[in-house]
Amino acid sequence: MKIKPTYFTIFTLITLILFFLADTAKAQLQRERVELDEPVADIFWAPTNIGISTVRNLSKYSLNSSVLHTFGLVRRGPDQFFGLDDGANTRLGLEYGFGDTFSAGIGRMTFRKIVDLRAKSNILRQTTTGSTPLDLAVKASAGISTLSGMEFSDRISYFISVMTARKFNKLSLQLSPMFAHFNLVSANQQHRLFGLGIVAAYELNDRFALSAEYLPVLSKRNPGTYDLMAIALNIDSGGHIFQIFFTSSQWHNEAFIMAHNEHRFLDGNFRFGFNVNRIFGLRRN
Amino acid sequence: MVRYLSAILLLFITIYSDPSEENVVYFTDSGYAEFTSSVPLHTFTGRSDHLTGLIDPEVNLVDFYLDLSTLRTGIDRRDRDMFRTLEVDDYPFAEFTGSLTSSFDFQSSDKQSVAVTGDFTIHGITREKKVEGTLQNEGGNLKLEAEWIIDITNYDIEPPGILFYRVRDEMEVRIEAVLESVPEDEQSDIP
Repeated sequence: MKIKPTYFTIFTLITLILFFLADTAKAQLQRERVELDEPVADIFWAPTNIGISTVRNLSKYSLNSSVLHTFGLVRRGPDQFFGLDDGANTRLGLEYGFGDTFSAGIGRMTFRKIVDLRAKSNILRQTTTGSTPLDLAVKASAGISTLSGMEFSDRISYFISVMTARKFNKLSLQLSPMFAHFNLVSANQQHRLFGLGIVAAYELNDRFALSAEYLPVLSKRNPGTYDLMAIALNIDSGGHIFQIFFTSSQWHNEAFIMAHNEHRFLDGNFRFGFNVNRIFGLRRN
Repeated sequence: MVRYLSAILLLFITIYSDPSEENVVYFTDSGYAEFTSSVPLHTFTGRSDHLTGLIDPEVNLVDFYLDLSTLRTGIDRRDRDMFRTLEVDDYPFAEFTGSLTSSFDFQSSDKQSVAVTGDFTIHGITREKKVEGTLQNEGGNLKLEAEWIIDITNYDIEPPGILFYRVRDEMEVRIEAVLESVPEDEQSDIP
């Protein structure tokens, strides 16, 4: 049997199609990615790169515990196990993120039994969309020697640095003009020191990165001291950030690195060291 | 002749009449979602305020999705590990599409328990899921709260681990959103 289409049939068909379309127009949502304008992650992997503080700050409610070690000169040879038998300068530190752009902490190192109080604040954050092209942060700290037999004011040193950094894909660069003041110094030593910290890091992959730093003293320097130079391998173990490095200085705080680094890296006077950083998220669920 | 007039009339009614005159849908693109995983002695939660969802009572559609790259745990290195585990570049969305399987009185302002059955998708794997939660009419908008547990191994997600411990297979999902009512003439703005 042959069915002849009529205008009525065609109209009815169109009507039904329109009716169907009207109902299916309310189908599921179209999936769209969210473009976030947020701070670039991991400009540096740890708040401190070997010995110089970085723009990296802690998130709110995060606690960073750090252990920093440096040993004797590698050139001391096998008799001193390449410097490891010469005694370590160790700094134990805790820092807490009071906000996403402000942290404060305390640490203590073996040499001169220095306890340092520090605070870091991010003023600008490089953003993923490029709306802010770089990071800018300020770090201030005060060091207090806990050696016995000193006047309180003689124990104190002050430090401030302005850190500016940018991440270019896998490469991060930072410049840190810095100033240190020591209340008490030996003869011929400087109360005030200016320096320029230069830090670079390159991500090899998600787990490994190379980094280096250089800290020339720009003001009149203390006799017998040299600019810091260091190179490191950074390892992200999934919970810890390890930095295994060779450095010319056995000191941990920038102020003391500028004042007391007595070795030149390029003369072969460098030592082994390692830093361990572990960040705990303390936000309650 | 009567047949033609009837057909034309039917066509005009279809085109110009509102097929669901009172049809209002509920929509949000700023809902809250969290995914909580645990390792021995510790839990960590990825949170996002970018949950997008639609409830359409007319066709009984409940549709939600989340761009997983918006989840934040508070530690960016851990965020990166989480994205790697979820393979967010390849599978950017967690999705749920289903329908209400229990009654809900849209006129009442009481918080009401509801059940939704549908497909939950994450890591590119889709499984049927029944989710229980609450819905409440808040001044014409809908407040939704729901939570459920998924076994991530059912979605081909390899629980990450370090040395002697690894992330547990169960992951808790919790969502909370206020979906604003969108009248018919503004629904074309919904993506």
